Formats: sequence, structure tokens, C-alpha cells
Amino acid sequence: MIDPDHDLESALAGLRPRPPGPAVTAALARELDPPVSRRGVILAWTAGVTSVAAALAAGLFLARPAADEAPAYQLVRAEQSPARIEVLRPVRLEDGSFARPVRVRWDNTTQWEDPRTRTRFINYRPNEQTTLLPLETY
Amino acid sequence: MPDAHADQDWRAWFAEHGARLRLIARQWTRSEADADDVVQEAFVRFWKHQRHLPGDPNALVVTSIRRAALDLLRRTDRRGVREKAVAAETETVAWFEPEADPRLQALAQSLPLLPAEQREVVILKVWGALTFEQIGEQLQLSPNTAASRWRYAMEALRKLITARAHD
Repeated sequence: MIDPDHDLESALAGLRPRPPGPAVTAALARELDPPVSRRGVILAWTAGVTSVAAALAAGLFLARPAADEAPAYQLVRAEQSPARIEVLRPVRLEDGSFARPVRVRWDNTTQWEDPRTRTRFINYRPNEQTTLLPLETY
Repeated sequence: MPDAHADQDWRAWFAEHGARLRLIARQWTRSEADADDVVQEAFVRFWKHQRHLPGDPNALVVTSIRRAALDLLRRTDRRGVREKAVAAETETVAWFEPEADPRLQALAQSLPLLPAEQREVVILKVWGALTFEQIGEQLQLSPNTAASRWRYAMEALRKLITARAHD
């Protein structure tokens, strides 16, 4: 049996909701990455425990220098998404001629990884460019 | 508890699904800014407390969005009553990106005009990727009621699009 709502549902699925504002993306990036200050506190605490343990056990591996704890990120991926092109409705320009606005969007994502801790640093950059294509009318 | 999604890159996940999650939030909020706040709060809440849980994270995030939206409505209820009329007049930002196809454009403009109880079923089904059973759980309805609201919404959308075509 053919679902009469199917074509309407497909058309709805073709609509593109507006993305969250850049402030949301920035705020999530801050939340999802552990804050440096907290990490610093943990490292300082760890260093304290380590030094006490080192004094007690005199084990070399427990007295690892703090420099070892610093993350060493290496570039693992850099990619650019395919461009999404939108052809919008023609507009009339000030000189009376017509032009069709065309918007192109693409994203650049670069990822670095610290192989020791497997933590990743991701830079996601959405891009957008709009241009006008002149239309000839007869 | 072991993390069922230990390899998941949640920032990439949000980059992929953020727009549809925001639309889900938008229909339950009074303004664009509120929708952004709700999506942010809901996703952080999910990420902190539920991202380790097994199964599809989508339904959990949608539930988190609904809770955050209801919390915000309760918090701002008094202020909202005063501002509602003003916001309704000043809020001109469309829910969707502009479309070149006039039929899609009419559809995008018609969806916000549906009655709220029909609209939420449509949005949860199409952009929330939920089944009628899951929609029923979200909205505390029977799956049959959800399906029935969907059919009414489809009928109403057809009428709205036809009316716009004749304008």
C-alpha cells in the first residue's frame, strides 16, 4: 500500500533547520574540553602525591618530571567538506537589473591528537560565501 | 559503568545533528535565543550524565531537550506572559534556511502555523527520528494518538500549502 503522506514527509525532511548560533558551539567546546585550571589542579595534586611516594619508595618512575605530563598534540586529520550550494530567488539591484544570489557553504575541520592520552583537539570552522550572478532579461 | 560510546567524538556528533536538535528545541521555546540556550543546556546535561549509556543517544538527547525546554518555560513563565505578545510580533527569524523551491518554501512557512500538539509530533518524527512509540513516551501519549496527530498534521499542511499556492 502506498503511504499518501510519504511524499510530504520526504519534502519535510528536505527542509534544512537553522543551525545553533556560534555562541552555542563555542560554549559547548568549552564544556566538552576539561578546563585547563582544573587539569592544573589535578596535575599539582598528582605531583604532590608522587613526590611523597617517591620519598617513601624512592622509585624513579614515580618521580617523573612534570614536563612529561604536558600534552603533545600531533596533527591527525585536516578535511574540507563538499561545498553546499544554494541558489536563491532573484533580486532586483539598484540599477534595475536582476541578479540571482548564490550561497556556498563548507566546513574545515582540523584534528590534533595527543597519542599518549588519546585526547583530541578539534578546530571546526564553518565558512559561508554569498555572491550575485547577473541575470539577463529579454 | 563502561562507556558504551567511548570512541564517539561528541563535538563532531553535535556538529552533525545540532541544527535538527535546535529545531526540536525551537518549537518548545519562545524565541531563537531560548532555543539556543535549551540546546546548549540539554546537550551538556546529556554529555555529563548520559553519554556513557548504551543505545542510540538520539532519544536521550531529545528527552534532555524537552526537559530543559520545560524547565526554562517554568523559570520564565511570569516574565514570558508579559513578553509573549511582543516576542510574537518581533520574532521574524525563520526556522529553516531559505529554499529556492517554492513548494519547500511554502512548507517551511506552514509548519510553524500548525497547532502545537500536531507540530511537535511532526518535528519529533521527521527531525527527531523517533517512532510513534518513542514520540508517545516523550509526550506521554499513546502511540495511536501520536499517529493520529501526525495524520491531522499532514492534512493541515496540505491545506496550508494549497492555500499559499493560491495566494
